[in-house]
Amino acid sequence: MAAEVNKQRPAERLFTLTCCLMAAPVIGLSKNDIYASISSYLDQESDFARNKMFERDKKSLREMGVQLEVIESSSFEETDTSRYRISKDSFAWPSGFQLTGEHLRLLELAAKAWNSQVLAKPAQSGLIRLRSLGLVEASRELSLVTPRLLARHASFAPLADAIDAGKLVTFSYRKPDGATSIREVTPLKLRFIEGQWVLLAKQVDQIKNFMLRRIISKVEISELDGKITRQDEVNLVEEELVTFVSNNRARLIVTKGTEAWWHFGAKEEQEVVIHFMDEALLAEDLMEYGADISVLEPLSLRLRVENGLNRVLESHA
Amino acid sequence: MPKQEIDAEGLFNLSLSIVGLVLKDGPMLTSELARHFGFSEKTITKAVLTIANSEDVGRYETHFYVDEELLSEGEVDFSTARSSLDRPPLLSKRQTTALAAGLDYLAAMPQFLENTDLKEVREIIGSGSAPITSYQPVGSESVLLEIQRSVDSRMQISAEYVNQLGVKSVRTIDPLRVEFIGKRHYLRGWCHTNLEVRSFRIDRIISAKTTGGPISEEALAADIPVEVFGAVSDELIVEIQASSEASEIFWNFPALDVKKAADGSSSGKIRVGNLQALGRHVCRYGGEVLVLGPPEAREAVTAFARKALGDQSIAENED
Repeated sequence: MAAEVNKQRPAERLFTLTCCLMAAPVIGLSKNDIYASISSYLDQESDFARNKMFERDKKSLREMGVQLEVIESSSFEETDTSRYRISKDSFAWPSGFQLTGEHLRLLELAAKAWNSQVLAKPAQSGLIRLRSLGLVEASRELSLVTPRLLARHASFAPLADAIDAGKLVTFSYRKPDGATSIREVTPLKLRFIEGQWVLLAKQVDQIKNFMLRRIISKVEISELDGKITRQDEVNLVEEELVTFVSNNRARLIVTKGTEAWWHFGAKEEQEVVIHFMDEALLAEDLMEYGADISVLEPLSLRLRVENGLNRVLESHA
Repeated sequence: MPKQEIDAEGLFNLSLSIVGLVLKDGPMLTSELARHFGFSEKTITKAVLTIANSEDVGRYETHFYVDEELLSEGEVDFSTARSSLDRPPLLSKRQTTALAAGLDYLAAMPQFLENTDLKEVREIIGSGSAPITSYQPVGSESVLLEIQRSVDSRMQISAEYVNQLGVKSVRTIDPLRVEFIGKRHYLRGWCHTNLEVRSFRIDRIISAKTTGGPISEEALAADIPVEVFGAVSDELIVEIQASSEASEIFWNFPALDVKKAADGSSSGKIRVGNLQALGRHVCRYGGEVLVLGPPEAREAVTAFARKALGDQSIAENED
């Protein structure tokens, strides 16, 4: 029973492993060095069990943002060709990185938006890490609005995993015109735009946006590493999307006193101008208002709405 | 409310975070740390013991000296021994994705449009600096503010509401919570007409003013359902088929027997309270959703589409 009491807990093992690797010399530590330093590894009954535990811990550390470096060299002893250390960059917070109480309040709200959805746990653990930067209290009560992000697409979790692991993925993608193709991309970022989840991903050498609702197959995560992408490339694409949206302009007529009239805030006039990211998505929103709305321009949007409604009639004839 | 349970990775993360904070700001009370990190004092103590037990058994050296006597009295103090760890690692990609997406979502909410703190924190976390689009409450900004005030002060409101059929009514509502889901604000409140908790889309509330009375005991005791669509009375079971892209229609109704085909399309049944409302929900997908039956449901869909295309012969009083 006494041995049970002293048994190292998994969190202690991960913490001690991190400490040992942080304190490692420049040439890193061999597996045997690590096994000799941490009681959980020593307690294992076989090398197989020890190795399995170590592999699992390496994965956990990487998932938690601790960059484990593996140094391979034949100049080490035969049993020690791989040596391990932690990149100091993992812990190098930018100088002057500081959050105010208001920043923290907003981050709390952002984490809360996940509710019990797929990214709720990493959002909370990220928040804990940020709180360690100082005893700054959230400046006031949380907003009176409870934001709730919903991520129900089956593709969401594997894409988040692939972003984490920096791996290539493949999936079947259907464009609004019905054209379907297999895409092999490096997922970079998931964003929620116009009520839709959008994946920012690099396909060959171009960064593109993919709507998750248009991914029609299972997302397969490849063993292959994804393409390296610089942050400034991502920023540029995001800026281009903002410009694209601001240039996409639709003019609508809404019937006074209807739900559409209230929704689009037409006030006294009946004509409204709105900006949009995706014409097919906007057409869906407009079709829902039926006869209460008509499109003045662009013509392509007007036709899309008319064609959509005609397709409804044809399919239900 | 502080959480009582934490898994191994969570405890590891908390231990790293406590190291960072205590080494930076000095000794602290476990109660202080519990409040700051949002965990119970028991969990904080467990995390500090994780730091204390970080012994390099091969070298007979410890990484941190933790004063366990002080810890038993509710104070956390330690110093580094062999360790060169003095702060937690940077956010992982997954943590960044989660927080950045949450901030991105906030940035699109009308109440945060001009918020400079949000702009700053989005730049710090790397969630971009400008929202791509915003969800304008347009006509209902003042309504939203009035409702938020009523939720805060627990005061009943009288609201002029247009339902999804375009029918206007005045409702007495005990406002309980305002939620922002997808791209819409919803008021979750006790409806005195229906005597249950209902969801009201705020863009459908034309005006809202306080009645001057407090919210009812029934409202205070009521549970708020997770889903906004709530229970459907006088329901009709409608069988539908939806393409992969339009399959989200099943998220908007209580659904049953939903099956997904290899091409990503889905089929199943939904419970519908009103056929005219079904018409608009199906029509929004422009032919990507097919109503298989019953016949009156198909007719409601074609009637909505015909009217939307300008056919004036459709009866106005259809339900």
